[in-house]
Amino acid sequence: MSLFGTNTGFGSGGTGVFGTTTTDSHNPMKDVEVTSPPDDSISCLAFSPPTMPGNFLIGGSWANDVRCWEVQDNGQTVPKAQQMHTGPVLDVCWSDDGSKVFTASCDKTAKMWDLNSNQTIQIAQHEGPIRTIHWIKAPNYSCVMTGSWDKTLKFWDTRSPNPMMSLQMPERCYCADVVYPMAVVATAERGLIVYQLENQPSEFRRIESPLKHQHRCVAIFKDKQSKPTGFALGSIEGRVAIHYINPPNPAKDNFTFKCHRSNGTNTATPQDIYAVNAISFHPVHGTLATVGSDGRFSFWDKDARTKLKTSEQLDQPITACCFNNNGNIFAYASSYDWSKGHEYYNPQKKNYIFLRNAAEELKPRNKK
Amino acid sequence: MHSINDASLESEHRSGFGLKKKIILRRFLVEENIRSPAMAECDAEWELCKENIQPLRQGRSVSALHQALCQQQEGNHTALNQQKQAFESELRLYDGDDPLDVWFRYIKWTKQTYPQGGKESNLSLLLERAVTRFTADKKYHNDVRYIELWIDFAEGSPEPMDVYRYMQAQGIGTMQAALYIAWSEEYEKRGNIKMADSVFQDGIKCGAEPVEKLQVFHRALQARACRQMMTSMTDQQNDDDDDDEDEGSSEPQRSSLAELKAKGKKKPVVPINRANASIGYARGLQFKQPLGPKQNSRLMIFDENKVPESEPQEPKFEIWTAPPTARAKENEQKPEKWTNVKMPLKSRSGLSVAVPPPKPSFQPFVEEDDQPPAVTPCKINPAVNSVLSARKPCRPEQTPLKMLQERQQMMQLQTQEDGKIREQSMYCKELLFSGATEFCFEELRAERYRQKWARKLQTQSSAADDEKPVESSEK
Repeated sequence: MSLFGTNTGFGSGGTGVFGTTTTDSHNPMKDVEVTSPPDDSISCLAFSPPTMPGNFLIGGSWANDVRCWEVQDNGQTVPKAQQMHTGPVLDVCWSDDGSKVFTASCDKTAKMWDLNSNQTIQIAQHEGPIRTIHWIKAPNYSCVMTGSWDKTLKFWDTRSPNPMMSLQMPERCYCADVVYPMAVVATAERGLIVYQLENQPSEFRRIESPLKHQHRCVAIFKDKQSKPTGFALGSIEGRVAIHYINPPNPAKDNFTFKCHRSNGTNTATPQDIYAVNAISFHPVHGTLATVGSDGRFSFWDKDARTKLKTSEQLDQPITACCFNNNGNIFAYASSYDWSKGHEYYNPQKKNYIFLRNAAEELKPRNKK
Repeated sequence: MHSINDASLESEHRSGFGLKKKIILRRFLVEENIRSPAMAECDAEWELCKENIQPLRQGRSVSALHQALCQQQEGNHTALNQQKQAFESELRLYDGDDPLDVWFRYIKWTKQTYPQGGKESNLSLLLERAVTRFTADKKYHNDVRYIELWIDFAEGSPEPMDVYRYMQAQGIGTMQAALYIAWSEEYEKRGNIKMADSVFQDGIKCGAEPVEKLQVFHRALQARACRQMMTSMTDQQNDDDDDDEDEGSSEPQRSSLAELKAKGKKKPVVPINRANASIGYARGLQFKQPLGPKQNSRLMIFDENKVPESEPQEPKFEIWTAPPTARAKENEQKPEKWTNVKMPLKSRSGLSVAVPPPKPSFQPFVEEDDQPPAVTPCKINPAVNSVLSARKPCRPEQTPLKMLQERQQMMQLQTQEDGKIREQSMYCKELLFSGATEFCFEELRAERYRQKWARKLQTQSSAADDEKPVESSEK
């Protein structure tokens, strides 16, 4: 496998944890720093599936690259490989067997990266930047689902240049998630569509948004039988909605909660509201993590409706997060999310990916 | 003789005409073989939906109209969407010193491309945003383009008078003839010649430019007024004769400039003043009261504006939660005139440009409650409560509207009675919600990235061109 380009170097190798004497707040949680992070904002993170031994982390960035690290059990991160697009990478995902990585980019294409051969081929084409990419593994078919700003959702057999199916959406795709047989897409203008994927993908229901502001991120959660049963939707104004697809009592079961806001109890100063950049569910406990523009991450128990933990504030927004396949590792990326536009962008500022032990902190609260 | 192509007939579904008429027209064109099929199609399109095409003050470019209609017919939305997206991006990325230019071009393109107006064009939304965005910008107050936008906005709003009065109070357009012309036209439509005349005099007094134009329109108004007076005088004599005849009007012919007489004295039948066809546009004449038929030789024109005159002269500007498209109002109960309502208008910079509202008479919306409120976001006098209940909230599918409404709600709710701001959003709201649709952070960033690369490619290719010998062709 090839190593990273020379412009980034290898960093400090090892665990990469900076000494505690530094006063800058780039890593207030003292988590493990991933070596050789991308040179520009990190847009997406994905850990390898359980079918593969070990933990491999993929990260896509606005520097047009996708990088792969191996995360060893002792916490060391080893850069493994890198691939490029001709535009910023917006989303990545793994195939179910862990042999391929799919990447989606602003260059309107999606690529399939074979990790064994370290080759990529283009597998999708849209008329606008591709915002989301997900692998679907159904009993009778497998495909890649891409959601784009050209308002279409397309499904691709990787062997064919034409999509197997193309579904029209009311607006541009802003975020999506897939847990077979369910897929959720949140679009611009607060659109929300649920698809069912059995036999072939089709629109299941359009839902009136439980949130009043722009949709930013979505993640499906499962019930005790590991069946997808609902989703968490994050907005641009510090709020997450928990929404069940077929709850016994929608008014009671569905709810929203505030998050990523400052000055919780201090009413003297106005409360600052930040965007929720990403949501991830713990694969074992079913609790969730949210990361925001305020540079914090928080863990929540949606069943007990409580907050489990909120981190210290990083000096940059947190743009992406994910759990590894057994829920022991929580990865989060610290970089500029463009929430304040072009003026606040500092190309010199370093970007980071941190790894944290998540086994204990995300255990659910015991319900009384 | 060509046979009619079924497919071409099926594709006609946008105009409101029945198929039969289309068949006839198409057959005519095909048989006569006057023009090329493509042109004929477009001509037919124009013929079939001309009623739906909203007239423009400065007239429509015929070629643009044809193109717009053809594009709609062919379902050529991609090009349209791309152009729209380009404008939306330009709005957000523009950093020159004439931002009005982008808005103006965008709106102009929208008007030409969506001749029927309607929801898809977002025209009223764009107008509203463009207009409110620059209210604080003194340098634009007498900019011809800005005034044009304001007048378009006024004409599309339920109460153009208020808009014009607001403009005058704010000093917007007071040096431009266009304002006075449009304003006086509005008065004339309502039959208030006296006020229409005084508006012109105001304009002349202020020294509005161009003076000659103002004078020409003024004289035209006076000519129309005289004609009207004369015809009504002759009508008067006839009127006095057969006033009490209830069994039916025995007017032999209708003269083109006469009033249609109301039957009987008590029936509040609204007469249609045909003189108005020659001024302005036949866009749904809004007459509040019929012109009193019982007149002597003097014209007694009902001055509806006497009522609002008693209001204080401070600028008031109502925010319409539904952009006032003439179309939308057809199905809604017409709201009555609000005489005592004051609502704050917050411009983008957060400056209040009107008096602060009175305390709300209902319980303000509390953040904890995550049920979307069903009331419209205005603070009203209890006395006018009944009017508000007649007004339906926006239809849920009008999502840009809903966004605007919600943002206004949020802005209002965030500033409670003590004027303190309770919450503030830590992201670039302006950039995201600038145009007619929203952007997300990534779209903003991607757009900037794209432009940077386009410029890079351009400089690279021009550098390469410089090195080439002169006879090579342009790229």
